[in-house]
Amino acid sequence: MSEYIVELENINKTFPGVKALDNVSFNLKAGEVLALLGENGAGKSTLMKVLSGVYQKDSGVIKIFGETVENLNPKKAQDLGIAIIHQELNMCAHLSVAENIFLGREIVRNGILAKQEMNEEANKILSKFSLDIDPETIVGTLAVSKQQMVEIAKALSTNAKVLIMDEPTSALTAKEIEELFKIIHRLRDEGHGIVYISHRLEELHHIVDRVTILRDGQFMKTIDFKSTDMREIISLMVGRDIKEKYPRVECKVGEKIFEVKNLNAGRMVRNISLELYAGEIVGIAGLMGAGRTETTRAIFGADPKDSGEIFLYGKKVIINSPADAIRAGIVVAPEDRKKDGLCTKLSIKSNISLPNLNKLCKLFGYVSKKYENEMTQTAVENLKIKLPNADVDAGSLSGGNQQKVVVGKWIASNSKVVIFDEPTRGIDVATKVEIYQIMNRLKQNGIGVLFVSSELPEILGISDRIIVMCDGRITGELPAEEATQDKILELATKFETKLA
Amino acid sequence: MEIKRKIMLKQIISIRGMGQVLTVTCGLLVLCIVFGILNPNFYSAKNITNLLRQIAPFIIVGIAQSYVLITGNIDLSIGSVLGMSCMISATLMTKGVDPWAASLITIIACIATGVINGALVSGFRLPPFIATLGTMTVARGVAQLVNNNMNTDAIGEGAQAFRDFFYYGKTLSLYNTVWVALALWLVFNFILSQTKIGRHIYAIGSNIDAAKLSGVNAAYTTTVAYVVSAFCSGIAGLITCAAGGLGTMDAGNSYEMYAVAAAVIGGISTLGGQGILLGTIVGACVWGVMQNGLQFVGAPVALRNIVIGIIVIVSVLTDVIIRSGKSKKSVARFLGVSLKNKTNQGGFGGV
Repeated sequence: MSEYIVELENINKTFPGVKALDNVSFNLKAGEVLALLGENGAGKSTLMKVLSGVYQKDSGVIKIFGETVENLNPKKAQDLGIAIIHQELNMCAHLSVAENIFLGREIVRNGILAKQEMNEEANKILSKFSLDIDPETIVGTLAVSKQQMVEIAKALSTNAKVLIMDEPTSALTAKEIEELFKIIHRLRDEGHGIVYISHRLEELHHIVDRVTILRDGQFMKTIDFKSTDMREIISLMVGRDIKEKYPRVECKVGEKIFEVKNLNAGRMVRNISLELYAGEIVGIAGLMGAGRTETTRAIFGADPKDSGEIFLYGKKVIINSPADAIRAGIVVAPEDRKKDGLCTKLSIKSNISLPNLNKLCKLFGYVSKKYENEMTQTAVENLKIKLPNADVDAGSLSGGNQQKVVVGKWIASNSKVVIFDEPTRGIDVATKVEIYQIMNRLKQNGIGVLFVSSELPEILGISDRIIVMCDGRITGELPAEEATQDKILELATKFETKLA
Repeated sequence: MEIKRKIMLKQIISIRGMGQVLTVTCGLLVLCIVFGILNPNFYSAKNITNLLRQIAPFIIVGIAQSYVLITGNIDLSIGSVLGMSCMISATLMTKGVDPWAASLITIIACIATGVINGALVSGFRLPPFIATLGTMTVARGVAQLVNNNMNTDAIGEGAQAFRDFFYYGKTLSLYNTVWVALALWLVFNFILSQTKIGRHIYAIGSNIDAAKLSGVNAAYTTTVAYVVSAFCSGIAGLITCAAGGLGTMDAGNSYEMYAVAAAVIGGISTLGGQGILLGTIVGACVWGVMQNGLQFVGAPVALRNIVIGIIVIVSVLTDVIIRSGKSKKSVARFLGVSLKNKTNQGGFGGV
């Protein structure tokens, strides 16, 4: 029998238009904590979803405890002893701890739920981890960290041998993280194999034995944590040839267009201040969950602000709703085009005209077909949107062309500030370059461009100035000349000190 | 000439949602043919004018439900608002209020119900099913309350002009009820297909998040849809009052169901964002012809209910399967046709 409890060999997985996993191999020993690292979109989650049976591999071999497994599905994976603790907790908040632990495999005696028995059993499991939780407590009333412990307990009560933890510390306080690490240590010592996914590189030295690094769906390297350093890890995570793919145009920086002062909106937008000048693209970098999207939403009035002021050409503007923002000339091309960007069942024409209907209206709100066709035509030509005709469903276009429609609907309206939130996610390289060119054109026309992206190379390639966020705060600002991936990553992982 | 026809046909088919309307129209023609064979009197001028008058209220409540369905919600209060309208207007008229003034007051009361529905659904975020189930019960209660839990007396001779306008009078050999329905349809079809608020109604039904981020005031738009719904239900109530010549407390029972049927058969999606009001007319016709035709061939009421209920379920089911996106092609393949060809084969070469 091999020393590995999990072996993934040459796994390939393709989604429409994207090669998510390209010949990736991965293995895990019993009694170790392995950190799975990589940038957003590197393929970490996809790989773990293949292992836990959520996705089917296209090709490759999965061996669990030395046995080759085919047609893995979530149930089968669970039976084989693989458990995932998701970033978002998967618990029924209105049920008790014991009910959650036994969800789907309730103990039944004579057709009746054996509540007493399940409570006792749950109690045994919980006390094994010295968790002082009453099994009859309603899960929703527990602190997030306790909920997480319950989820771990639930996973282990199914006799899981392989435990996958996806960003387990993101919602925890320092003390809670310490508790979690203690439990991870114990599980490791008992012979469980643990896959630990985290962006918080500074946590790793507390728990990690080995590190596997993925980049762009490809396997980079597996190394002993002791024999490496952060510098090597980071360069493996991000290092790739950049620049050429990013057409940059130089522009004279002009007057100040846009300013945000001390914007606060919940925990993910704290004291954000930024300025935007004509003739520049300002990039906002950060890890997933750094509060970038929340910031754009708060600026745009899509989420309520707690405090803060917004100025356009030196004049204060009040923005309480997206309609206010659009009227003022501030628009956001949102991150999730299916959810926030497009009405996929409406025509391309309707989508492009939707935020601009006021300009297209005549008497009594009658929408002028002529103006509407002209606007659509202009947008389609300017953005080179490939479509059969403007009356087909927006949802029938390819991802890249859908994204162009999202962009098109916003720049059709002569906006003063355009905020792009992850405009290139999930689209092919050629279309990406076209999107960059659109941003460049806006910049040349003196329109302020804010560019939120999780892909460091494109942020570095396109932006003139880069603002880095972490945990809802701005942790630094770099001019393009000085910015490097290492510097950005360092700022992007500058969490408020939680651990000594 | 031939080419010109082809271009026109192409333009008509390319209107969004027209495909389904044409398909259903074919179904309607088949129905008419079948009922005509079963009973030749089906085609008598008398039956046809009567049939159209029967269909008119279905068109009106169909418009009501269509507006709300397209926003992605549902209005269960349509039948009760109809009943409330019938009772309020009749009670006022028996108390000596001028019929037109009574109608105006009634419509204002109905619009208020619509505003309440809109506020509950979009302002307080109640699930539309529950919210309108509540207003449905309240409106029925109001209908019972206005005349102390009794049907009203006859609305009297002073109301003859009112009764002619809404029911008994004829213009150009069609009953006025039909003209009222067509007028409402023209207005609301224009609003829905040609104006800003119409566009917003489709947008929030298609993707409310995207619509909000595009500056659409979703709460206002939802409320407008519910107000249109209540307004139309109110008009249908006036027609019922004019037809019976008195107010009945159970007027409009189950009309919310008929409204869903007319809309859904006509291709309005229960998932929101899709469908055109022309379909609602065809849907209402299918509904009316079914009822009338089954009655004509002597089918018992129970059987009629079963047949009609099944038609509604099948329509919604087809809608959900086709519109849920993934299986559009596979369903078409299952049916042995490509969806596009189906609409072309519709036998409308002469349109």
